[in-house]
Amino acid sequence: MIALINWLETRTGVKALMHEAFNERVPGGARWRYVWGSTLVFTFVLQMITGFMLWSAYSPSTRTAWESVYHIQHEMFLGNIIRGLHHYAAQGMVVLMAIHLIQVIIDGAYKAPREVNFWLGIVLMMIVLGLSLTGYLLPWDQKGYYATQVTTNIMCATPVVGREVQVLAQGGSDYGHLTLTRFFAMHAGILPTLLVGFLVLHIYVFRRHGLTVHDPKRAPDTTFWPDQVLKDSVACLAVLAVVLLLAMFRAPELSAPADPAVKFDAARPEWYFLFLFRFLKFHAVESLGVTFGAIIVPGIIMGIIAAMPITAKVLGNFGHTLNRAFIWALALGVVVLTLMAFYEDANNAEHQAALTEAHRDGQRAIELSIGPDKIPVEGAVTLLREDPFTHGPRLFAQHCSSCHRFNGHDGRGSLVTEAGKTDEAPSVIAAPTAADLGGFGNRQWMTAIVMDYSNHFAWMKNSTWFRDAQAKNAAGGTVDYINPDSSEMADWTSGNLDALQSAENADNVKALVEFLAAETGHAGTTYDAALVEKGRDLAIKGSWAGALNGTSCASCHDTIGQDFPTQPDDSTASSYPTLAKYASLAWLKDFIRHPDAARHYGAKNQMVVYSPQKLSDKNLDLLVRWLTHDYTPSTVPDYANQLDVLNAALAPSSSVAVEAAPKK
Amino acid sequence: MTSTSPEIPTAGSVDPPISVETPRRSLLVQLITGMLSFLIIAVPSTLSGLFFLDPILRKRKAASDDTADGEVPRKDEAGFVRLDVTKEAVPQDGTPLSVTVIDDHVDAWNMFRDVPVGSIWLRKVGDGPILAFNSICPHLGCSVDYIREENEFYCPCHASAFALDGKKMNDIPPRDLDVLEVSMRTHGQQDANGHEIWVKFQNFQRATSDKIVI
Repeated sequence: MIALINWLETRTGVKALMHEAFNERVPGGARWRYVWGSTLVFTFVLQMITGFMLWSAYSPSTRTAWESVYHIQHEMFLGNIIRGLHHYAAQGMVVLMAIHLIQVIIDGAYKAPREVNFWLGIVLMMIVLGLSLTGYLLPWDQKGYYATQVTTNIMCATPVVGREVQVLAQGGSDYGHLTLTRFFAMHAGILPTLLVGFLVLHIYVFRRHGLTVHDPKRAPDTTFWPDQVLKDSVACLAVLAVVLLLAMFRAPELSAPADPAVKFDAARPEWYFLFLFRFLKFHAVESLGVTFGAIIVPGIIMGIIAAMPITAKVLGNFGHTLNRAFIWALALGVVVLTLMAFYEDANNAEHQAALTEAHRDGQRAIELSIGPDKIPVEGAVTLLREDPFTHGPRLFAQHCSSCHRFNGHDGRGSLVTEAGKTDEAPSVIAAPTAADLGGFGNRQWMTAIVMDYSNHFAWMKNSTWFRDAQAKNAAGGTVDYINPDSSEMADWTSGNLDALQSAENADNVKALVEFLAAETGHAGTTYDAALVEKGRDLAIKGSWAGALNGTSCASCHDTIGQDFPTQPDDSTASSYPTLAKYASLAWLKDFIRHPDAARHYGAKNQMVVYSPQKLSDKNLDLLVRWLTHDYTPSTVPDYANQLDVLNAALAPSSSVAVEAAPKK
Repeated sequence: MTSTSPEIPTAGSVDPPISVETPRRSLLVQLITGMLSFLIIAVPSTLSGLFFLDPILRKRKAASDDTADGEVPRKDEAGFVRLDVTKEAVPQDGTPLSVTVIDDHVDAWNMFRDVPVGSIWLRKVGDGPILAFNSICPHLGCSVDYIREENEFYCPCHASAFALDGKKMNDIPPRDLDVLEVSMRTHGQQDANGHEIWVKFQNFQRATSDKIVI
């Protein structure tokens, strides 16, 4: 062994090199406060190792970037750990860099003769920030896509050359394949190479001047190896443990595949850029323009930091005090702005709803990709574009939620609000003016129709048309309108309530409900075939017990039990709504297109007619399939039921009319 | 430009003596330090190494097919794939026919539906059974051509030659052409007189004398 080392030594000088590397003097003894630089080098090495691995499985194009990252994280062996390490170590690097910078300034390690090394450090910091910025886009998910859009648009605000800088970064006038190839080349090739180069210079110059030691008499001098290396490696081990634990127990998020056509209201930069994000939102800053807030101010701050060695030289000790005060003030500002951003987001219901939707979409995209059909060649983005579970809620919020609600919310989890009574008054929760479609067509829905008709449709009584009609009729008019309290159906329900609730008919009601629910054909529920048949008899023949016997649904709704016609027309329509496959996909599609048709509720129905000009066939299909559960089943947690919140908000003390909320 | 600043001495210019520790403690510290330094690099490297071995370590999940209800699937559970040509298309005189095999293809995260997955040679002598060969040369994986003048299969890469029954004609290839199982069917059901040609399309390891399915 020794012979081998000697052999190598005479030919390469390896021993002298090792001696040089490890026997650096540490005046005043090894200290914990010297570890930060080493942890940064370690984190960079960690990023190289995990980065090369990710590179071996990453594919930069708009049709494969999200897909390959999904594949890494959810299919490949230890892929979630490798991506997690890379994800969290990147953030760790920014934190460690901030600590390193603050320490260098506090300790005056930037002063002569170390100015050049200080500047080298600032260059390194810029490179690391560039790495985190370029890396954020690479998964090509909604989060990275929209956050990076903001950054490249800020580039565009650079005076004189802005547009050119942006086009160069994007590889064209817009985002596409080339944006990814260019960002990837920057992230995995150009910037790391620069970083290695500057890091070598940084360490070389550092070695030339040695540690900045305040108190060389504190302890006897020692050498880098092993005393300081021990402390350094313990610190590195701590960093490793933190990022590894995070990677294991908090997998990095992969939000939905980037889709320029789908809004992403939850867009935020990575947390360590949040302070800048928050700074840009101040009205005073906003009014001065993006160039001022995002380019001039950060430029000035960086300029002040870079000029610190000169400040200290010119102003002496006062300059150093000034520099220390500045970095503390800056750190405080960053912390305060970051906390403000977090606090405001946490208390912003809209942002929270957007976040919920972002998580839901992301998990759904992953759930569909894991499926046996894998990902189509057109990319995972099409999985969501054609998914009722994803787009149904959005279409509901857009088209239906001005009157209807879905479990109390607008389909996307948010309560619907309207402006307060006066201009200054805060907005209030708006009362629904049509049925809540949360349980549309399920057993509870059918039970409510049979047993609790007036109450089930009570939301309608909040509408203007209902009140107008009531007022007109009270004044002696004859307006024909839908009145949940007074119609043949409402009268049948209320008139027969005792019989329906009687013990002898308990099983019959259950059977009828089972039949009605089964007729909807909604996926995801199994029905009791015998019960369904019994219910069919009840509906068509009216084989009830007691006084109800002989009253059948079919005596009014003559098409009940039949298939919904493919070409419905009203030539044979009775004056009663058709119940042929009521609440099924075909029925609902026809109802939305023709709510005023005689086969439904006729001209008195106030529901808006959704023509193909208003709601395309494709969107109608997505919406209706969502409402009838015709989609790949999902285990993604859905939006929370808001009915209780809605009911509480509309309670008697509130300004909204309440008689119109269904009773529990 | 050494030591221009009087208040901050640069290291390396002067060398006051360094405290000497007791050898035993120093050795222990060195050992622990060495182990820790090794550990912080070994952990991420090992994890990364295992990640890189993913193609060997991971079991692949089965993919679905997209056959519509009532339609005879293009592929059966035993792995036989229906060809686009029927018995009539194969020349009576024994001339081989090149056919592209269409199947679903899974590539990492993607599912490609009904795409060409390979090419085979079909051959029939008189009313005898239909033979199917994988057109990939068992030598090093180039594709084998049919040379009409010589009436043989020939690989242009390294001059492997095979007779029309697939037997190797020189010592370049390690084995005969790979014969594929053929099944004649009607509407997907076994039928010796059927016109549909179903082939169990497989690729085999190259450069070995044994026929090993990849």
